[in-house]
Amino acid sequence: MVDLSQYLPILLFLGVAIAISSIFVFLPMGVARLTGAHKPTAAKLAEYECGFPAFEDSRSQFDVRFYLVAILFIIFDLEAAFLFPWAVSLEEIGIAGWATMMVFLFELIIGFIYAWKVGALEWE
Amino acid sequence: MDYGQSLLITLPEIILSIGGLVLLLVAAWSGAKATRAVSISAVALLVAAGVATLCYTGDAFGALYSGDQFSDFGHVLIYIAAAISLMIAPRFFQRAGLARAEYPILILYACVGMGMMVSATDFLTLYIGLELNSLAAYVLASFLRTDERSAEAGLKYFVLGALASGILLFGMSLVYGFTGSTSFVAVLGSLGGGMETGALFGIVFVLAGLAFKISAVPFHMWTPDVYEGAPTPVTAFFASAPKVAATALTVRVAVDAFGTQTLAWQQIIIFIALASIILGGVAAIGQTNLKRLLAYSSINNIGFLLIGLAAGTQEGISAVLVYLSIYVAMTLGSFACIMQLRGPDGEPREELSDIAGLSQTNKGLALAMAIFMFSLAGIPPLFGFWGKVVVFDAAIGAGLLPLAVIGIAASVIGAFYYIKIVKLMYFDESRTVLQTGDGKALAWIGAIMALLVSPLGYFSIPLLGGFANNAASALF
Repeated sequence: MVDLSQYLPILLFLGVAIAISSIFVFLPMGVARLTGAHKPTAAKLAEYECGFPAFEDSRSQFDVRFYLVAILFIIFDLEAAFLFPWAVSLEEIGIAGWATMMVFLFELIIGFIYAWKVGALEWE
Repeated sequence: MDYGQSLLITLPEIILSIGGLVLLLVAAWSGAKATRAVSISAVALLVAAGVATLCYTGDAFGALYSGDQFSDFGHVLIYIAAAISLMIAPRFFQRAGLARAEYPILILYACVGMGMMVSATDFLTLYIGLELNSLAAYVLASFLRTDERSAEAGLKYFVLGALASGILLFGMSLVYGFTGSTSFVAVLGSLGGGMETGALFGIVFVLAGLAFKISAVPFHMWTPDVYEGAPTPVTAFFASAPKVAATALTVRVAVDAFGTQTLAWQQIIIFIALASIILGGVAAIGQTNLKRLLAYSSINNIGFLLIGLAAGTQEGISAVLVYLSIYVAMTLGSFACIMQLRGPDGEPREELSDIAGLSQTNKGLALAMAIFMFSLAGIPPLFGFWGKVVVFDAAIGAGLLPLAVIGIAASVIGAFYYIKIVKLMYFDESRTVLQTGDGKALAWIGAIMALLVSPLGYFSIPLLGGFANNAASALF
């Protein structure tokens, strides 16, 4: 039988994370309801989402440049996400691990230079 | 672990990666006018990587990557197919107004991934290689981005490919969960004897994911759409190099990782093989587009390849490699012929009706096409027949007589539409005004491939068979 007690930390983490994140969502709503004047209008109830009207035909046209920026953002965001586990385990993986990450970063930089040079970062 | 030695063994991948990065910067600075220079450098890099493959053998990075004879065979075949895909491309893209230097670079990156696929001796290396190849392939499929069909092909390929990768990854996680390792050697050791149901599910999911990548029935549905929509040089590439890589990968996984559970995967492979042969033959009959037709032809051929794998013996694996080599020559040759068909304004023509009466307008092209079609159908004096002989011979040698009999009977279905093409070219009246011939490169490649699959190809049997035997022996 698998010893489940070793997974207690992650269970605790998930519990705490769910609790805290629901506090972030529901606390402001509750506080606003209790302290403020409750006068909903159409404009106040509308969802706020990146400046786009939230509900309309999904086939509407909008600028493809948003996608490009978002994709580039994701690449470099993921790069940062890779750096965290690498940084905390650097002691174990040693010089080989360090060199590997440097190669990875170098390759990403070349990709970045390419994207810059072909004009992917220019808005106009 | 000796890093220096490991780096030397992975040298082909390193050459292609660094070369690809350098060419990417060249492409960024010089733009489309460097396309020719970048293409030529890419072919040179492929040659260099091929030489580097043959120079060093051994296991690299603690058995994550293996540079044995099997991977050498796969590497060389992949590089040849990729180089030919590069050579047939320039005029096509020029005419489409999209001659961009990114095409050879993407092919190079795909080759890095494919090289890792055939050399993978660990599920993680396998997955990274597969994804590296797939990501480049998704972009290549939608390379003609102003063309609706090309964009659709890329999107369809991406969505279904991502799904297949997920299935594969799930299978790998099950195998890891039940054996405690991702290394093929360790998996092979712990799967011996009685097998738990979970591990069996792992094998099933891994094979399902791999069947998608080699476009075997019942995971073939993406193939006709992607082959039809992708630009023709890219289709030629898809039908050759990645097929070699994925087949070699499937062989290595089946033999190296699941070799102690042969009975478990053998049934699956037999089903996939027969389903591919029959569906590839039947579904092709109603097609009117030449590229779609060749897509079904590739599904059909994958079925014959898998018969060799189903045998599970060294002889069977050697037969798979021989068949693969012949298949690559036939496929690239057929695409080189199709790419020479153009309408009055120079636009590419790819409908079945366009080749009617081709023998009256261009005798050489019609003859080459006829050779490829007869060879794909496996009609005796041509070399395609030999591929089928070795595969069926291996199946009979392994005691799979019923499989061989059904396979041979089903190959007759496929022969119908191959011969229909020949009939159209030689006995029908031409209905469309067609320009044929498109530069020396296509004509030469078509001619060389036609020579290779002509009866003259039989002279290469001792050489090809020897290499294939050597490669197969590395797995056992």
